Amino acid sequence: MQRPRKQSIERTFALSIAGLILIFPANLMPLVGIKMLGGDKDGTLWSGVVALFEEQLWGVAILVFLSSILFPLLNIILSLLISAHLYFNKPNRHLAHWMRWLQHMDEWAMLEVYMLGIIVACVKLASSSELKFGFGLYAFVALLIITGMLATSLDKTLFWQKIGQLRK
Amino acid sequence: MNSKKSALAQGFIRCHDCGCLSRKSEQNRLCPLCEGQLHPRLSNSLQRTAALLLSAFCLYIPANIFPIMTVTRLGVGEPHTIIGGIIALINSGMVPIALLVLIASILVPLLKLLGLGLLLLNVHYRWQDHARKWTIMYRIIAFVGRWSMLDIFMISILVSLVDMGGVAQVIAGPAATAFAAVVVLTMFAAKNFDPRLIWDNQY
Repeated sequence: MQRPRKQSIERTFALSIAGLILIFPANLMPLVGIKMLGGDKDGTLWSGVVALFEEQLWGVAILVFLSSILFPLLNIILSLLISAHLYFNKPNRHLAHWMRWLQHMDEWAMLEVYMLGIIVACVKLASSSELKFGFGLYAFVALLIITGMLATSLDKTLFWQKIGQLRK
Repeated sequence: MNSKKSALAQGFIRCHDCGCLSRKSEQNRLCPLCEGQLHPRLSNSLQRTAALLLSAFCLYIPANIFPIMTVTRLGVGEPHTIIGGIIALINSGMVPIALLVLIASILVPLLKLLGLGLLLLNVHYRWQDHARKWTIMYRIIAFVGRWSMLDIFMISILVSLVDMGGVAQVIAGPAATAFAAVVVLTMFAAKNFDPRLIWDNQY
């Protein structure tokens, strides 16, 4: 059971804009780097996918790409689109489709699990090499908090009601 | 008003997507609010869940037997299975992290496979008791599933970071694909199971 949330549309709108801004540094800037035996290496979300691809693990690479890059991005874009339409009271015939996609995709965006993966990987590496944390990691953590808040601020019942009203 | 009757028994269908209740009738196949397809229950829920679960069960075996990654140090390769990785963590004194990995990549998939299997048996043989407890179990299974991806993400990070040619290198192994498939298949299985089936045929 859910209780109605305050200013759901406004909050979702604001948070999804913040998320859209943060997702770029979180994806493009290095998350963690290591210094090992004189070598230097930086890791981003994307480089993990590429490395898996190069080792012919197509399935795993695609899965990691979807759940750590594509679905979080789509999640934020869809939230932004829907809340913007509802905020400005603009009817759009795709609203119901977008809302349905958003609900189905929710489960497959796994940023928080990825964060845990980063922690475990760092612990494993800490004994044998020198770790340094990049700016991307801070952006990533901020993005994590934003998407968490996004999930709690989005009131599905209210959104569907609004979508129904706009159609009429 | 009989409050114990389900919505379906009273002639209502609830939309899966938007939650709108509408009267059950032959003509109305689309939800009046969101225009999604209406089904009284998820179609072929038991068959689909059983099929996905069986394939996940088969893949669970190679996922645990084959090495999930090979760590090469100074030219010497050392394959690690999932359990091997946990033992290595314990040996280096990282017990809490080892526990975390143990829960996420061994206990959770195993409990999911067994739990969903039991839920299927429950609905098929109509065990009438403790419907509430079974529903809680379903919710836990559905919630906890995505956390098994932890191991896959960790490997993706390690593979990209530790890549110094022959000196130090991590290569992902065949078990990674199998394990990823187990996680995805069990997530689909949980999604296809309709927990309202537990409550049907109850009085």
